[in-house]
Amino acid sequence: MRAASREEAIMRLAFLLVFLSSIASAQQLLLKPVDEVSYPRLVSGFKGKVLLVDFWATWCVPCRAELPQLVKLQAKFKARGLEIVTISADEPETVNAAPKFLKSTGADALPAYVKRAKDDDKFIGALDPKWQGALPALFLYDKTGKKVQAFFGETPIARIEAAITKLL
Amino acid sequence: MFPLLLFLTAVVEPPSFQLSTLQGASVQYSDLKGAKATVVAFIGIKCPVSQAYQSRMKSLFATYTAKGVAFVFVDANANESAAEIEVYATQARIPFPIYKDYNNRAADRMGTQTTPEMFLLDAAGEVRYHGAIDDATNEARVKTHGLRDALDAVLAGKDPKVKELKAFGCVLHRAKKQS
Repeated sequence: MRAASREEAIMRLAFLLVFLSSIASAQQLLLKPVDEVSYPRLVSGFKGKVLLVDFWATWCVPCRAELPQLVKLQAKFKARGLEIVTISADEPETVNAAPKFLKSTGADALPAYVKRAKDDDKFIGALDPKWQGALPALFLYDKTGKKVQAFFGETPIARIEAAITKLL
Repeated sequence: MFPLLLFLTAVVEPPSFQLSTLQGASVQYSDLKGAKATVVAFIGIKCPVSQAYQSRMKSLFATYTAKGVAFVFVDANANESAAEIEVYATQARIPFPIYKDYNNRAADRMGTQTTPEMFLLDAAGEVRYHGAIDDATNEARVKTHGLRDALDAVLAGKDPKVKELKAFGCVLHRAKKQS
């Protein structure tokens, strides 16, 4: 009887551990929402670093192709002060697929956000008047937090790298 | 607001550009425009956002063609061939013609950056509405029917209340220009 209870207790503990680890794993992959108020704070939080913000979405084929290349860029220039942040523009219907994709490319190691603006037009316009909200879109900030360049559409990674190295 | 005004005042003269049918015949915009209003719709067959708007485009086309509005659907993406568009249009049972804009001349003329991106022009050729069809890819969450409301306003001889919604979607895949 005692052995049976011990076995039962171990089983329960094992189940609890699996349950807790699955919660922890899910939470690690949660994308933090960013809106028109928190975006400037996010950028200013990287002062002293060169920051590349990547707006992407799970449905955006060129964005998906670009992400692994950005991960390599981050690895190459992290020691020199490059930080890359991803912001998913997925709507609620597709955003659940975002963490899995980020993980598959190694981009889950980068700070990951999801765009949840109260007014999308204002958010997009405030970020860059030339941006329509189309993807892919990358924004490069210098070490003072000033936006110095934007890349819209498919952009050769060498062009992005050249712009980054000028700022490092 | 200022860039919008600048944009709207910049495109006051009637647009003039040439498109191509999927079979390769040239066609002028002036031959496609409507007597009351014209919607020039830049779409992308490989853009999921553009695809998501397919049924709304069909509905707008059916509703407003009957009211005298002409629709000019344009594919200016350099990575989407006429043959691919033809296959897509057949499979998706697209009821309207799609024109090819080679070297994105029409897109350059209109300043198009995105698919899907709409331009509503009145009979005089003035752009009265520009941008997205509405404000949400998921139809259930739409709050502002930008294009539909603007069409109703223009047909009623009024000024659209909302003149622009950001045209979210895919960046237009422009042809590489010889420099």
